[in-house]
Amino acid sequence: MLSKMKVSHSPHISQRMSTRSVMVDVIVSLVPAILAAAIYFRARAVILLLTCVMACALTEWLCNLVRKIPKPLESLGDFSAVLTGVILALSLPPRLPIWTAVIGSAFAIAIGKMVFGGLGANVFNPAMVGRTFLTASFGALMTTWTVPATFDSAMPNVAITDSTQVVDARTAATPLGLAKDAIKERKKSAGLAAENETVAAEQAMTISRIAAKTVNDQMTYILTGEVAGCLGETSALALILGGIYLLIRKAISFHIPAAVLLSAFVFGAVAYAANPETMANPMTHLLSGGMLMCAFFIATDPVTAPLTRRGMWIFGSGVGLLIMLIRVVGEYPEGVMFAILLMNAVTPLIDRLCKRVPVGGKPNVQG
Amino acid sequence: MFEIPGKCTFAGGSHPPDSKEFTAERRIVQGPEVETITLMLSQHIGAPCVPLVKKGDVVQAGQKVADNDGFVSAPIHSPVTGKVKEIALQPHVAQGRAMGIVIVVDPENNAPQEPVNDQFTEMFDVTQYESAQICDISRQAGLVGMGGAGFPTRVKLEPNPRLPKDTMIVNACECEPYITCDYRLMMEWTYQVLAGIRLAKRASGCSKVYIAIEDNKPKAVTAMQTAVDASGCSAEIKVVAVKTKYPQGGERQLIKAVTDKTVPTGGIPPMIGVLVLNVGTVAALAEAVVCDRPLTHRVVCVSGEAVSEPQNIYVPLGVTVRTLLEFCGGVTEQAARVVMGGPMMGFALAELDTPITKTSGAITVLTHSQIGLAKFKHRQTACIRCGQCLEVCPENLNPTKIAHAVKFNALDVAKDYYISACIECGCCSYVCPANIELTGYIRTGKIHLAKQKKKA
Repeated sequence: MLSKMKVSHSPHISQRMSTRSVMVDVIVSLVPAILAAAIYFRARAVILLLTCVMACALTEWLCNLVRKIPKPLESLGDFSAVLTGVILALSLPPRLPIWTAVIGSAFAIAIGKMVFGGLGANVFNPAMVGRTFLTASFGALMTTWTVPATFDSAMPNVAITDSTQVVDARTAATPLGLAKDAIKERKKSAGLAAENETVAAEQAMTISRIAAKTVNDQMTYILTGEVAGCLGETSALALILGGIYLLIRKAISFHIPAAVLLSAFVFGAVAYAANPETMANPMTHLLSGGMLMCAFFIATDPVTAPLTRRGMWIFGSGVGLLIMLIRVVGEYPEGVMFAILLMNAVTPLIDRLCKRVPVGGKPNVQG
Repeated sequence: MFEIPGKCTFAGGSHPPDSKEFTAERRIVQGPEVETITLMLSQHIGAPCVPLVKKGDVVQAGQKVADNDGFVSAPIHSPVTGKVKEIALQPHVAQGRAMGIVIVVDPENNAPQEPVNDQFTEMFDVTQYESAQICDISRQAGLVGMGGAGFPTRVKLEPNPRLPKDTMIVNACECEPYITCDYRLMMEWTYQVLAGIRLAKRASGCSKVYIAIEDNKPKAVTAMQTAVDASGCSAEIKVVAVKTKYPQGGERQLIKAVTDKTVPTGGIPPMIGVLVLNVGTVAALAEAVVCDRPLTHRVVCVSGEAVSEPQNIYVPLGVTVRTLLEFCGGVTEQAARVVMGGPMMGFALAELDTPITKTSGAITVLTHSQIGLAKFKHRQTACIRCGQCLEVCPENLNPTKIAHAVKFNALDVAKDYYISACIECGCCSYVCPANIELTGYIRTGKIHLAKQKKKA
């Protein structure tokens, strides 16, 4: 009968899920966003995406070599490096030079992930680490936004031809950039009014109103993605589709996305109610920029998010609040990456705060 | 009539494929004729028994061959007539090697023991037996919990003025995949099971009885309900269809599902006035009380994709797993692991000569692809903190935190996250996408902690 009897702990069976399948699920869910990017930014998007993915994989392999890991290629099989590459690429501006993307990818994997000990040990979301590094180092390149190739030139007030260099595409302000301008102009107007420069103040106020109205009028373009912005962050519909796929596949739970969107909406609504004329409405805020990308794909990165449901609510609402704080009050038009990194930093604390209590209550005697 | 206070389910849990189709419709059959049997001296929780016979002694079927004076213990009886060959170390399912009595069967004076289920009908009169008498017999007949833990039944049954019981739950969930012995008992020995339930109720003084059956066994629900109605005791016994979910048959989970009460962590069911008995145990109780037969036989379910002819078999205690597998036509090429019990909580056998004990309800043979899917062939990755183990944990623990604390030898952290509250159901290991043996780590941690405690 049986010649060899293999013994192990129970349970002796397991469900078919694996780390790889979790990662692949997330990559698959990003396919609509990738397609949208390819449609709007053509070959540029595809090249950038492939560059980031390959650079991330290569960096992980090199790091494994340096760490003298027996099978340096094995850890690539879990596709987490590929996922980091995809997410990083989707959060980059389309016209970013290739070499910059390579540096960003290498930084994301090497400093964002491998120095902590690789998969599962990193404190911060590697893609956001890479993006933050690029923003800090190549500020101008990271804020040059290309107009989508399908862009309707008749769109008012937005397209401005970049005359300083020979370009294959036009650049424009992102919806969030406009929203920021509206806020800045309003502040300027208030300052001018205080100095009794009524004409200039009125002028600034008008610009502010027009900017805010333009953003709010862009809703349909934001949904389809026909606006300037990062590769994967332009099309809200594609991102929502991906998010729904993830929820159906149970690759993520609804807690974090719900918390991010809810808290951002509440904060956005309060800000809008205070200044309805010069503020982008909360729905625009939810659908534009990196908000959806963040809610469904970045904040839900399990490694850097809390484990418990209560912790997820706290983490998500923190992310949503910070994004809106940066967008409305802060200097930057977009706050996703800082919000994520800040909340990543407090994740261990949240986990400790939300310790689970056994069903039967705390035991009377420890041990 | 009384209501079901609980929601018939509990928080957490997982859904392994139930795989009951192999043996669910197989009638209980008489087991093979055996030449020798091996009675382990440790068949229950508590101190192992001391042998009352010595090498060369002739023993009769039903004779007591080992006992212990301890309160938490149960005697062991010989299921056959024969001669004691030796008392020596034998393979034990969980302990590696333990003492056991080997009896060579006398082929001339042995007729295979038949089940007694046809002696029970709806006319069974429970009032002819007194509470103290039933408790006494349960001890003398060597009854222990036959669901797996093997807690001596007398200790559970006996009314205790300090911890009064009012609710009795008959655990007929059988939530482990493959296993169908309790299901067959309910289908075929319906009235014996019911008689046992009524005896246990009388002995323990409980006023309410729930028979909890998972809702994937509608036939068993109907069978038991019909029997309860026919016997005219529907005022005190209620059949409850609980949600099919693993580990619904866990004592703490079942109590929550049926009564909506929670057993305190580290506590026992009587603390909240509940008594939980397995179907097999109550059937054995009826046999012991009414037919005066000690616990020497039980039904074992031999199942799995790799078994040629899966069956539910009525066997004497002490037959080896090898004998039973041969009786079922052997195993196929794909067989990779033999498990005593179900695939979620059972013990992987290192030797086929391991004997059946009072608590072994099933033998499951798993294939290469099944265990390959589990923790052997698949590459283990680092924990990606997906939180699935937290979602399925029926005790609301943080399995990954505890397991990694044990892995890195931080037992105080493991304690801080309530390692002792773990019931080792295996849900966390089952769902883990990183293929980490969380349950294994936690079990190891408990052993280390017990050792530490001993030293201190």
